[in-house]
Amino acid sequence: MRSRLLSIAIYLVAGASGLLALLYPFFQPAIQAGQAAPGQMRAGEMPVMMTLLLGLCVVVLLAEAQGQALSTRMVALLGVLVALNSALRFLETAIPGPGGFSPMFFLIILVGYVFGGRVGFLMGALTLLVSALVTGGVGPWLPGQMFTAGWVGMSTPLLRPLVRAVQRGQARARQRLSSNSKHSGLTSEVLVLAAFGLGWGFLYGGLMNLWEWPFIAGPQNQSWAAGMGLLDALQRYAAYYLVTSLAWDLAGAAGNLVLMLTFGAPALRALKRFRQRFTFVYHPPVGADREQPPQSALEQGV
Amino acid sequence: MHSLAWLAWLVAAIAALSATRNPLYLLLAVACLALVGVSLPQEPSRLSRPFAVWKFGLLLIGLAAIFNALISHYGETRLFTIPGRLPLVSGDVTLEALVYGATNGLALAGLLGAFWVLGQTLPVRALVGLIPRAFYPLAVVATIAVTYLPATLRQFQQIREAQAVRGHALRGLRDWLPLFMPLLVGGLERALQLSEAMTARGFASQGKPVGSIWQRAWPRLAMLAGLLLLAGGWVVRLSVKAEWIGWLGLAPGVGLIGLGLWASGLRYPRSTYRPPPWQAKDTLTLVGALLVLAVLWLPLPGSGSVALWYTPYPTLHIPPFDVRLGVALLGLLGPLMFSLRSRRALR
Repeated sequence: MRSRLLSIAIYLVAGASGLLALLYPFFQPAIQAGQAAPGQMRAGEMPVMMTLLLGLCVVVLLAEAQGQALSTRMVALLGVLVALNSALRFLETAIPGPGGFSPMFFLIILVGYVFGGRVGFLMGALTLLVSALVTGGVGPWLPGQMFTAGWVGMSTPLLRPLVRAVQRGQARARQRLSSNSKHSGLTSEVLVLAAFGLGWGFLYGGLMNLWEWPFIAGPQNQSWAAGMGLLDALQRYAAYYLVTSLAWDLAGAAGNLVLMLTFGAPALRALKRFRQRFTFVYHPPVGADREQPPQSALEQGV
Repeated sequence: MHSLAWLAWLVAAIAALSATRNPLYLLLAVACLALVGVSLPQEPSRLSRPFAVWKFGLLLIGLAAIFNALISHYGETRLFTIPGRLPLVSGDVTLEALVYGATNGLALAGLLGAFWVLGQTLPVRALVGLIPRAFYPLAVVATIAVTYLPATLRQFQQIREAQAVRGHALRGLRDWLPLFMPLLVGGLERALQLSEAMTARGFASQGKPVGSIWQRAWPRLAMLAGLLLLAGGWVVRLSVKAEWIGWLGLAPGVGLIGLGLWASGLRYPRSTYRPPPWQAKDTLTLVGALLVLAVLWLPLPGSGSVALWYTPYPTLHIPPFDVRLGVALLGLLGPLMFSLRSRRALR
């Protein structure tokens, strides 16, 4: 129980610290009006500091998630799924899709939903890491990408209560209509996941934009300036996002939606079928004969 | 060369490119990176990018310059005026905005180039080997993924050919389903077989359970405390005038996280088959990187770091250039010096 509380505390603190690093332009209310060289010192320092803080948050989150989630079967499963997702990203690099379209979020969302938040986080973060390693895409932007993609997978299990509620509502509606047709609930599940992918398409782009926003000189109503208030910063960022990124992210979000609606149902069925095979644990009967094989070997599924 | 020496070189390159917007120093740093990149042998087995990095760098600089010139109408040297009432775009296009955008693009292209050099010279196994011991299970996952990636691409090609033989053609999005599902299910089946093989060979991802509950929990507590200190230190550094106060949180925070990771890593004994030796060229590269970092980060008297600060606004002027700083940046050429020596020796 204490271990679980510690785990929750680590996730919350690491998540909040990472968000702080990404959202610092909004949380920097009155940065020194009297700096030695206004903006210059901080402009050079900020990307390094942001990368450091985000990198350490990702490191702590990875350490925590791997300790809790990884059995031998999960190591193999993640390795192969990360390879598959990295291959999709590699194909996307070779044949660029429209705007911010990327097929990798489809599998991150499904894996997080089926196998749980920790595995989802690892899937998101490691997909970005491995695909960056093999395509030469490692850069100071990588910690931010890993953090955000990890949270895409981590947040997916939050949909389960919503899916259950929708399915209960549908079941009640069918009862009222006295319909005898069996309904698996898969459609509502896929619809919820598709809407989730749509939302994250915009959110991912919006968060990643914060990386460069403070350093881009632009019209006064769109660019970041030291000392502005929270509301002003939000208004300016909204204007900047609408002008420069909305169309790009729209392609990414629409891509997530379309992929989920097209491939979601069969992929979800396959992953759920394999979840049963990947997560079974053999418990020997109490007082079993000592001549039986060792428990540890059986728990590993040998 | 040793991967840790390359890591030090990379940190120095990032620091140099992030610390200044003076185009002269940026050009010097990028030239150093380009020379190192051109001179070193490349890893032939790497999956190649679909475009050359120098072309992408030039594109980046051009786009950044044009984008900034179009949306930022500051500066006093007017090139031309975009008429009308087009939101964002209409107004004066200035030389200063063009130069500022190009400078930003140059820094970004330099960062891209530094990571490209690292990616081309270090094999993936060396990059995976940089993963700390505390992340042993994740290093295994990364190794599996890197190993299976070419196999996955090959399998995709085989499925595509098999479906084509059956008369399958790609006309719409739904036609990708008969390609994607066998790839997914085949991958999951392979994962099952792999996990059974790993278990049969005695793989245990959880490491050795060591000590009491407290002994197992304290590394996690150290990391939690480290994160709190780190975030607190950063907030303080951003919001008070005396920046050094922030370091009182930042430095112990980084230290505690490092300590927690080190303690977690003790669960996973590590042995290296044929460890790479540390050679003179590694020392040379490390010294060069440390020279760059010392000049950029330490308040050394007479280092000429004032010349790093430059902005083309409001009127474009020639950037300052301190020769001492320029010479220090040549520390990035450490790997190149050895490469030239070894080439001469080969002749």
